[in-house]
Amino acid sequence: MTSSTGYYIANLAAYFLIYCTFTLGLNISFGMTGILDFAFVTFMATGAYFAGVTALGPSTPGSEIYYILGLNWPFPLDLLVGAAAAGLLGGLVGLLAMRRLRSDYLAIVMVAVWTIAWNLVSNFSNLFDGTQGIVGVPQPLSTNFNTDPNSYVYVFIPLAAIVIGILLVIGYCIERSPFGRALRAVRADPDVASTFGKPTFRLRLTSVMLASAYAGIGGALTIEFIGAMNTSGWAIIETVIVFTALLVGGRGNVFGAILGALLVRIVIIEGTGLLPQIPGHPELLGAFRNIAIGVVVILVLVFRPQGVLPERRRLYFEQPNRERKARKSIRAISK
Amino acid sequence: MLSASDAILQVEHVSHAFGGVRAVQDCTFSVPAGSISGLIGPNGAGKTTAINVVGGALKLQHGRVRYAGVDTSGWSPAQMARQGLLRTFQLSREFARLTVLENVLVAATGQIDETLRGALFRRRAIRARERQLVDQARQILSNFGLDALRNDWAETLSGGQKRLLELARAVMARPKLLLLDEPMAGVNPALIDRIEGHLRELRDQGLTLLLVEHNLNVVERLCDLVIVMAEGRTLAEGTLADHRANPEVVRAYLGSSGTVGGARV
Repeated sequence: MTSSTGYYIANLAAYFLIYCTFTLGLNISFGMTGILDFAFVTFMATGAYFAGVTALGPSTPGSEIYYILGLNWPFPLDLLVGAAAAGLLGGLVGLLAMRRLRSDYLAIVMVAVWTIAWNLVSNFSNLFDGTQGIVGVPQPLSTNFNTDPNSYVYVFIPLAAIVIGILLVIGYCIERSPFGRALRAVRADPDVASTFGKPTFRLRLTSVMLASAYAGIGGALTIEFIGAMNTSGWAIIETVIVFTALLVGGRGNVFGAILGALLVRIVIIEGTGLLPQIPGHPELLGAFRNIAIGVVVILVLVFRPQGVLPERRRLYFEQPNRERKARKSIRAISK
Repeated sequence: MLSASDAILQVEHVSHAFGGVRAVQDCTFSVPAGSISGLIGPNGAGKTTAINVVGGALKLQHGRVRYAGVDTSGWSPAQMARQGLLRTFQLSREFARLTVLENVLVAATGQIDETLRGALFRRRAIRARERQLVDQARQILSNFGLDALRNDWAETLSGGQKRLLELARAVMARPKLLLLDEPMAGVNPALIDRIEGHLRELRDQGLTLLLVEHNLNVVERLCDLVIVMAEGRTLAEGTLADHRANPEVVRAYLGSSGTVGGARV
């Protein structure tokens, strides 16, 4: 394996790990709670920008790059600020929109939230330098390990793996807990859930805040890895791709979320990138990518609506094989 | 009219309108504690709306609701549930992608563990509590003949099994007052007998039941008190025999032919 192939694969691994934060996050809001969180990429951008301006020093007058904060804080404080900012924004959106609105109307509001945020950041250039975005964000631990831009990925991968490991464990604990069960009850029927005394609003709000914090962590990792973020990095299509990844992998299942990140972010997005270019039409590659995403969504929803790794039926204090045996004996008796 | 001490639920001059349509107008009735009461009336009489207002699913526009001696006007369904007032729905509304057992588990009220903090930091304590809840839920499922199906997705149950699951779920919540919206709708005669048995059992355990029902055979066999509604108002309260003799009720609901829902009236 040549060093350039190794570098390419290492980069893919880094992107895959980052993408896992998105699918794991969306798995909480959409997968477990059923919220059509179409503003998802906004929370990713919030995390990225806030982590960036926390890690960067103050914007220097005369450099014509303007941004807020500039705290010069070290890792992992920037990551935590990014996660907190995204989580709080998620909470604010939830507070305003979720008390009364459900499913489809909430989805429309979420798209509106993205539109407002995207236009605000694009046009209000004192926030995060408008459409130019922020650049030169320091890479965490790069000075400790004396890396150059090419070898940094090998420091980043274990770092990201630890973060994703923690997020995966949290997601798994939620999935298996009474809290996760209440979220799924709210997903199935919020009215009935509230009939049983479930605080549906609080549950949905917690879910969106947590998912937004996950997205924020993913955004922070993104800006820490590539050092820059601008408005083209969080177009609405990016939300659609995360949804696709979760639908393909299997919503409501943390391992489905991971598999979806692998299948969609790596196989489809990178795969279409390897297609031969049509001479004179370089823009067609992007179009192919979007067509592939659309086709995959339709195929999955028609042929395997629960995804490759569907939500698992949870057994309580009993072994799976015992259940199988019991079923066999029931069948035998009924024959 | 019952005195406040006898009645677990008192609905006083309640009105509710959808835009210009007055679904419930000046509706007043009481439900005695420990009874099975019936709420009957023609389609569009406002029975379900009345139940929705009592349970908090619809906002109370006029009047007052007193439940267990407390003015609960304007309470949310979740608040009512925590105080022991529960309702079921005309169409079975199981939690689709939860197993049968989970449907019952989730119904347990007062679950302080259903928080993010609980999910992450109190796993050992929760496990012990879950074990208790699972034992309790499986006992209830056995009573309703559903224990063998406990690990199936609830959406795969038949219509009749879903009706039983609704009741099992309600029992798990340990309510004091259960509002049942047409529990026998679309249920075969054999299962009707079983559900009736379960409802009597619940009453004998001290639960109060108010059921909206069109099947007058069931109402006759089960209900100690029958409230008749028509055009959003309470027309009469009494036994079904009283209502048979009441020309106003016969005209409004029971009909001159003498039979409704298969029952001679």
